[in-house]
Amino acid sequence: MMANPVLDLRDLNKSFGALTATNNLSLTVMPGEIHALIGPNGAGKTTLIQQIYGALKPDSGQIFLNGRDLTGLSVPERIRAGIGRSFQISNVLMDFTVLENGIIAEQARLGQSFRFLRPAFSDANLIEGASAILDRVGLLDRAHLPVGGLAHGDRRMLELALALAASPSLLLLDEPMAGAGPDEGQRMTEIIEALRGTVAILLIEHDMDAVFRLADRLTVLVEGSVIAAGTVAEISQNKVVKSAYLGDED
Amino acid sequence: MTGLFHFANLVRAGIRDNQLLWMLVAGFALFPLFTHFADLPFWNDVAMRIMLLGVAAMGLNLVLGYGGMVSFGHAAFIGIGAYCVGISQFFGLSNGLFHILLSIGVCGALGLVIGYLALRTTGIYFIMITLAFAQMLFFLFVSLEQFGGDDGMSIDRADFLIIDLYEPLRLYFLIWVALALVALLLMFIVRSRFGVTLRAIKSNESRIEAMGLVPLHFKITSYVISAMICGLAGTLFASWQEYVSPDIMHWTRSGELMIIIILGGIGTLAGPLLGAIVFLLLEEFLPVALGAVAPAYAENWMILFGPLLIMVVLFGRGGLVGLLDKAIFSRIFRRRMAVK
Repeated sequence: MMANPVLDLRDLNKSFGALTATNNLSLTVMPGEIHALIGPNGAGKTTLIQQIYGALKPDSGQIFLNGRDLTGLSVPERIRAGIGRSFQISNVLMDFTVLENGIIAEQARLGQSFRFLRPAFSDANLIEGASAILDRVGLLDRAHLPVGGLAHGDRRMLELALALAASPSLLLLDEPMAGAGPDEGQRMTEIIEALRGTVAILLIEHDMDAVFRLADRLTVLVEGSVIAAGTVAEISQNKVVKSAYLGDED
Repeated sequence: MTGLFHFANLVRAGIRDNQLLWMLVAGFALFPLFTHFADLPFWNDVAMRIMLLGVAAMGLNLVLGYGGMVSFGHAAFIGIGAYCVGISQFFGLSNGLFHILLSIGVCGALGLVIGYLALRTTGIYFIMITLAFAQMLFFLFVSLEQFGGDDGMSIDRADFLIIDLYEPLRLYFLIWVALALVALLLMFIVRSRFGVTLRAIKSNESRIEAMGLVPLHFKITSYVISAMICGLAGTLFASWQEYVSPDIMHWTRSGELMIIIILGGIGTLAGPLLGAIVFLLLEEFLPVALGAVAPAYAENWMILFGPLLIMVVLFGRGGLVGLLDKAIFSRIFRRRMAVK
């Protein structure tokens, strides 16, 4: 018996004027799997993520998370329903330290952000929770550094930690390796690898080595349509995909 | 002497924002002693004006400095607070506590409506909408003939049961208590979970959304709190001035509040109060200084104030509070200490 999918996209459509960014797209992400979304630039990958995240409204179709229809919900509502996201361009709180980033995420997770009395940054419980959040990506030893002074790769790690803070059931990773050096990319790959089985991941990534290493399943997007879907082995043998995207040279 | 030494040590280490705030608040508590012995009672009046504008600026600073919302209409809340006294007295309600509760309530409600509408926009549109609301209220009170219209209405100092505000210094300490309470309130708010979230929204709104929070809720709440603080300042302003006219909510006062905040240090606890002190002292002394040099220009003291403000903004990153902070002061003092 198949388990129920964590994410279930049904016949999504989205156009910007004459440009069809998402064309009758259906896709599922199963519990604990890493599902990679690949395709050339302009294939509509980020547009799709934006619709799942709630920043863009699909023209038609439905989005289900754990069987719940998210289609009409706002971004914060979807986050609370169980979506976590890292962005293409690092999206962290630059004016704060690493630990403070963690604390703000921790209090949001606990639903305590609307309290006015006790100081937040010296609260032992919040520091403990924030430390656990940072420890997951190995940033605990840099907890007191201001984020502005952090290396690019560490910022990406911090962002991943923030996305994971609320223990989402689905993690949307939009090019987590973008702009990372080889070592940083390797570290990010290992951390995502370690997440396999604990959270369902929808991953957009251009680094094909990382994709082939990480992905349980692949969906190939071209001009807003799914042209192929399957396991890594199936996709790498797929002739259509080869000509459309991976290139014919090998 | 030891106190002075302690103070020097504090300065050398860089005065922390909240320490500076409480030093200033304590200074205002002791100031009447000074004026009494120096026989300068007039200066109590200046100090009251400084505290009132300081409270209002502290209120505005919550949204401007901590929340990053450039509201250009906060004078309206001062005005509403002041008119709450005038209009209450017009209908025979003279209880000061009632005035304060009324103005906090009215300004809170008005802040909720204006905030709800204006906070749908950002940047220049937000500035313009808040200014537009303030101008609407300004002209509303200009046109209300029964409440004096353009000429305003005179006010009796409010009635605080056993506290007679006509007694010297009673009003002073009432204002001081308000200042201390607002300082305490803001110190708690900016460090609280709410406060750090508000500051995080200023830093990166989309990350806060990605944490499942609705930034608008935090912004509106801070807007309402700041409106209530400005309302409180306005209420006491009316008692101090014994007069209220639409002038109190003229848009230039909104600008004045912003200048005070920027001068003192935007997004700091002590900044608005320090800014109010310096601004009003300059307003007092620059005309005198200018008058001594060039009598014809005495009224145009802003000629000197403008460049001063620019200097502070350019060199004192973070305003006067920034200047008092570690970097600059400790360098100067360390050198002196080393020479000794």
